[in-house]
Amino acid sequence: MTVTPSKAGSNAPAPQDLVTLTIDGIETSVPKGTLVIRAAEQIGVQIPRFCDHPLLAPVGACRQCLVEVAMPGPDGELRTMMGPPGRVKPQASCTLPVAEGMQVKTQLTSPIADKAQQGVMEQLLINHPLDCPVCDKGGECPLQNQAMTNGRGESRFQEVKRTFPKPINISAQVLLDRERCVLCARCTRFSEQVAGDPFIALVERGALQQVGIYEKEPYRSNFSGNVIQICPVGALTSADYRFRARPFDLVSTPSVAEHDSGGAAIRVDHRRGKVVRRLAWNDPEVNEEWITDKDRFAFHYANRPDRLTHPQVRDGETGELRPASWPEAFAVAARGLRAAGRVGVLTGGRLTREDAYGYAKFARVALGTNDIDFRSRPASAEEEQFLASRVAGRGLGVTYTDLERANAVVLLGLEPEEEAGTLFLRLRKAYRAGGTRIFAVAPFTSNGLRKLGATVVKAAPGEEVPAIEQLAHDGELALDGGGVILVGERLATVPGALSAVAVLASQTGARLAWVPRRAGDRGALDAGCLGSVLPGGRPLADAGARVDVGAVWGSTVPTVPGRDTDGILAAAAAGELGGLVVAGVDLDDLADPTAARAAVASAGFVVSLELRASAVTEHADVVFPVAPVAEKPGSFVSWEGRVRPFEKVLEGSNAVPDVRVLAGIADELGTPLGFQTIEAAAAELDEFASWDGERAADPTVAASPAAPAPAGSHRLATWKTMIGDGPMQDGDPAYHASGPTPTVLVSAATLESLGAAVGDQVELSTDTGTAVLAVGVADLADDVVWAPTSSGGVNLGRDLGAGAGSAVRLSLVPAAAPAVQEAM
Amino acid sequence: MITDETKAELREIAARYPQPRSGLLPMLHLVQSAEGRVTAEGIEACAEILGITAAEVSGVATFYTMYKRRPMGDYHVGVCTNTLCAVMGGDVIFERLKEHLGVGNDETTEDGKITLEHVECNAACDYAPVVMVNWEFMDNQTPESATRLVDDLRAGSEVRSTRGPRICTWREAERVLAGFDDGLADEGPAAGPATLVGLEIARENGWKAPEGGQQ
Repeated sequence: MTVTPSKAGSNAPAPQDLVTLTIDGIETSVPKGTLVIRAAEQIGVQIPRFCDHPLLAPVGACRQCLVEVAMPGPDGELRTMMGPPGRVKPQASCTLPVAEGMQVKTQLTSPIADKAQQGVMEQLLINHPLDCPVCDKGGECPLQNQAMTNGRGESRFQEVKRTFPKPINISAQVLLDRERCVLCARCTRFSEQVAGDPFIALVERGALQQVGIYEKEPYRSNFSGNVIQICPVGALTSADYRFRARPFDLVSTPSVAEHDSGGAAIRVDHRRGKVVRRLAWNDPEVNEEWITDKDRFAFHYANRPDRLTHPQVRDGETGELRPASWPEAFAVAARGLRAAGRVGVLTGGRLTREDAYGYAKFARVALGTNDIDFRSRPASAEEEQFLASRVAGRGLGVTYTDLERANAVVLLGLEPEEEAGTLFLRLRKAYRAGGTRIFAVAPFTSNGLRKLGATVVKAAPGEEVPAIEQLAHDGELALDGGGVILVGERLATVPGALSAVAVLASQTGARLAWVPRRAGDRGALDAGCLGSVLPGGRPLADAGARVDVGAVWGSTVPTVPGRDTDGILAAAAAGELGGLVVAGVDLDDLADPTAARAAVASAGFVVSLELRASAVTEHADVVFPVAPVAEKPGSFVSWEGRVRPFEKVLEGSNAVPDVRVLAGIADELGTPLGFQTIEAAAAELDEFASWDGERAADPTVAASPAAPAPAGSHRLATWKTMIGDGPMQDGDPAYHASGPTPTVLVSAATLESLGAAVGDQVELSTDTGTAVLAVGVADLADDVVWAPTSSGGVNLGRDLGAGAGSAVRLSLVPAAAPAVQEAM
Repeated sequence: MITDETKAELREIAARYPQPRSGLLPMLHLVQSAEGRVTAEGIEACAEILGITAAEVSGVATFYTMYKRRPMGDYHVGVCTNTLCAVMGGDVIFERLKEHLGVGNDETTEDGKITLEHVECNAACDYAPVVMVNWEFMDNQTPESATRLVDDLRAGSEVRSTRGPRICTWREAERVLAGFDDGLADEGPAAGPATLVGLEIARENGWKAPEGGQQ
């Protein structure tokens, strides 16, 4: 066994070396290495600044934070830091670390510092257009504010200001008004240091210096929106929000992002009953001050024209859905479900913890079944057992901060940059700080893994198990010395992989966390939306657990083990189940979308709780409109197991949460849920103390060697890109245009054998169908190709019937002959 | 067109440094030598070889004035117009050359022979006013000598720096700046009489630097 010095033991903060200095006459002691500007903040002194940002490396670019500094000399006497003879040289407090005995005078006590700051401000404003009345930033602008507090009232500059054509697109979403820029380099530093996408840089020099992209390469980043938020002037704006509102007309509400399991804190700004923008909120424990572009820009889905506004029931005569009153819809739903006999429940991954709990109880109490599954994606029984044994109801486990302290993090079936953006940023921070080494079992070295400096253990889809087994003996990885294993939901599709992960964790003592893609998955698991798992991670098979749950519910818990998603759909198609209750499930996300559509279409009785019209509502017998996250309170559970509560943003909305609908149906069924509101559901869920009894055993599924691809075809590796297709990303064309071009990645040898060049169109085909995508090259094995699961209108499951490990064929699409043009 | 040979040389430059990125400045000079300016293709080649983005290369290529984005003439003629050279005649030389060549600052003559530019101090104030041809010194210039100089360059006759070395073309000079020696480095003296005159006077008078100065 390899022994590596453990960092875990040094978790307690070491007694810090404190440095004592005086700021504006106030003595203060701060840890060694603290910057003067931070030390001043700690005693409540705000020094004006633009370039300084606590999460970016200091740069001293804007010079706004000048202060007067004196240092004790060798003789102990204070000497002011001087410039030319006889003149004090003010120092940039954002790049100056504190020193023992240092004496700092800010603008509050030093006329010299004050004058220096006013001089810098006057310089910065020389070419600034002062177009605050038409600028998005006006009203929340550090330049505007600090020009008032630390600048001259009047400018002495009489000449013509420098102007630029405005604005220019640095990406489809991000716009740049160069004349407003004060060249603080926050955006370029963010893109390089934090996100690792340095597609913007300071170009040109002197009076023409500006932020720019390379002419052929837009600023494509999953995190590009952050530069808009940290821009201290109005130079960077979003196409989506530009000219939409004034900050002082907005109502801001803290909330939690609903697009991935990161649990990122956001701020939602709304005006006249509509959300107009979302910003990152500062949560140092979770997302720090960053969010993904999906969390920032993908919120228009709630205001699409196909939003459901009233209950509908299927008319017996016409066979069409018609509007119905709530009482009628409840009655029709209850009558239909009762008549259906056995009913399965599919909840999808978008639910809040409270709504998920509503479904978990509704299934057991009102429908008397364990046929409930939150996994609307390819899944397996092995995964269910893994979740029951290792994840469900475990509470807060590995945290973001733990990742920074870990010696090594290994990523299995997980592409953080695309599937868990907040996690990606923290992993990159950990990697850049130098203490955490990152490993991944993946089919190729993705850009995201490259930005994490990851050591990639290559494994073709279906061949992950031997690679995972090998990790226990990897001396370089040394999981036993304070390592963390992060498992993505995609590993569920590889037989034996999660069994091997459990063994790996046990063997090495490494900590384990499951990172699902969707925001609601962990909460649904904890709430009991899985056949074999009751609320709080209680195993259904355990009689004590059933008694526990029955005591809270005041009823008995059904004992027949539940089916999983695919099983429920198959049973519905076969008539074994008479009905379905379906929450926000996009059938295209399932392992076999075609079969799922057929199952829903042929199911006896379908109740759909949905936000917008979907493939499920099309076949539903009763459709209930439910509230999107902005229109209800609730909570998500992050991949860490951290409960992330949020308030209702749009107070005026009377859209109802799923819980209220379920309560209505349950009442009609004569089996009341016992709660009608989110708050009451949360209170009841909290009655379930953590489970300290037996857990399900780890899965022990043997690996089955992946079949080699038939001659002439390739094995498919696939996952979803962050910016891609999906109903919750609808409604912002600039957001979609800023995403990656959907591209099939192949090995260099495959590219050559196709006779294709990077960027050419290739056709991906199976016996089911074909799709045309651009082609790119990566360090894949020759018999493996990668393609995004659902991007650019192509959904591999729906269009090709293909998922991870499927055999696909590739051919070059001949370039259209340019001369031939069909007559109109 | 960046040839495979140029690409190999670009890689060779990158390999000279512990951090390949340090090679970007000489690599861009090599691009100029091959292409006559910094082209998009050159920027992309550097980015690809160094594993950085084209935006980052572009940031560097647009910052330094020695990197040219418009096609250059065979000879780059730089007239120093900083204070000392300017008062010693640099301004007049620059005006005369603009008129004589029919081009403005940073423009190239129609025959593609000469690109004229006013340049910043080249540390040859002792020979002011100074004109640089492909970064070789032409000391103690006058408007007349400077016009003669550009006429000779355009006529293709051999021109030598006032300090000795033969003047090569701008592209050849760029190759030297990329770190590929042309063997001419030692042509001409390192310091001339005007450079050393202050030292002579100090010696004659026994002047020394004051004690306790810079260590």
